[in-house]
Amino acid sequence: MATVQQPAAHTVRRGVQPLRAGQGTSFIWRKLHSLLGIVPIGAFLLEHLLSNFEALKGPAAYGAQVKFLNSLPLVRVLEWVFIFLPILYHAGYGVYIWLRGKSNVVYYPWAGNWMYVAQRYTGLIAFVYILQHVIRQRFMGISLPENPYAAFAKVQHELANPWILAFYVIAMIAICWHFAYGVWLFAAKWGITPGVTARKRFGYVCAVLGVVLAVGGLASIWAFVGGKYPNAPENVPVSSLTVPANAGGVSI
Amino acid sequence: MATKTVAFEIKRQANPDAPAVWEKFELEWRPGMNVVSAMMEIAANPVTADGRQTTPVTYDSNCLEEICGSCAMRINGKARMACSALIDNLEQPIRLEPLSKFPLVRDLQVDRSVLFENLKAVKAWVPVDGTYDLGSGPRVFPQQQEVNYPLSNCISCTCCMEVCPQFNEETGFVGAATIAQVKLFNNHPTGAVLKEERLRALAGDGGIQECGFAQNCVEACPKQIPLTKAISDVGRDVLVQKAKDWLRG
Repeated sequence: MATVQQPAAHTVRRGVQPLRAGQGTSFIWRKLHSLLGIVPIGAFLLEHLLSNFEALKGPAAYGAQVKFLNSLPLVRVLEWVFIFLPILYHAGYGVYIWLRGKSNVVYYPWAGNWMYVAQRYTGLIAFVYILQHVIRQRFMGISLPENPYAAFAKVQHELANPWILAFYVIAMIAICWHFAYGVWLFAAKWGITPGVTARKRFGYVCAVLGVVLAVGGLASIWAFVGGKYPNAPENVPVSSLTVPANAGGVSI
Repeated sequence: MATKTVAFEIKRQANPDAPAVWEKFELEWRPGMNVVSAMMEIAANPVTADGRQTTPVTYDSNCLEEICGSCAMRINGKARMACSALIDNLEQPIRLEPLSKFPLVRDLQVDRSVLFENLKAVKAWVPVDGTYDLGSGPRVFPQQQEVNYPLSNCISCTCCMEVCPQFNEETGFVGAATIAQVKLFNNHPTGAVLKEERLRALAGDGGIQECGFAQNCVEACPKQIPLTKAISDVGRDVLVQKAKDWLRG
């Protein structure tokens, strides 16, 4: 009897499981991780680096900037909703992504593969740095929201330790790298730059962005340790800040 | 005149649960020989370099001209097609290993059916089966054909998946090949009827979001398929589809 033998339905038992088509929620969590890296975290990074620039103008200007930021409406809500929580999520999910990836740059030492690895290490450096930075500068020592004009001295004391200074420099470069390549990755993965040429061009844009941010960031670190404002006063006296009408400005 | 020889080290495994062992082979050099032809010679005379009788090496192959996608394996550590791996271009001893991300069957043969399952999961076909003649399909402009043709070159070799750091048992990532086929069939005027279903499928766990954009896929692809471009384009389409679903749902 000629009977057609039906092949048994093939199921994958070992190895990588097939796509769980349309199932699960990892899409939204991964895209949220990606988006948060740009806004608000990336936007906050730009704000922070710009604010740091005020340090180049001296303790009074820097203190004024800290005072301005702390005078924003609902500033404590803003810092938790737009800074702390997004960074915690981005970092936590980022580590989760890292742990599930299986780097093979040893076998395939290609540029994109190196960047894939670098994005993970710079992210980790950034997270460790940010944790200690927030704990030591925001939640320990003199409280800057109440004493904004103590900001310059607080940072200067911190950077007086050469190990901490080195960590700040390394972290500044790592964070600017992570952000610049993150912007490039965002454009590539969200379909903004699908073309090879477009990605290459945007790569140059992001490289310039990263270098400019890193150089600017290092310049503001220099403002604290470069010796232009040695031994900044613990708290800039208010009397020295009262600017008479029509005065050009004040320097400390 | 001393004969020129070619040295091989091949990772052997009699079955999925057997221990892996390396065997060395030494063959007489021939002009234009490649890895598959070398293994055919080993099959004709399965004797190791130290003169021990062994079994022929098991491997997948078919067309021998880099068009069927069967003979992907790791050659000197890198995933590529054995048929187009010319001996003269390879450093010796030539080390052959099975692809590492797929269940082993025997020796260099692995079970790559996960790709077939993935293609089914995204409905990578043009649905034209029916009970009556549907007539000729809509016209595809040459510009669109130019975009589609490279995508249609996929030979399902799974090199893009093997080299991908995100394609592993932890993520269950779908891999670049399937994503490129989604773009191909979504671009097809008749295949586009399933476009939304394909995009929703790719947003599932193990979907396109798992891509880490290491870009190894596009480097390794033996057919030079613009895989990163496909991932970028489909990534945008999936996102737009999900956004539409959330707002309309």
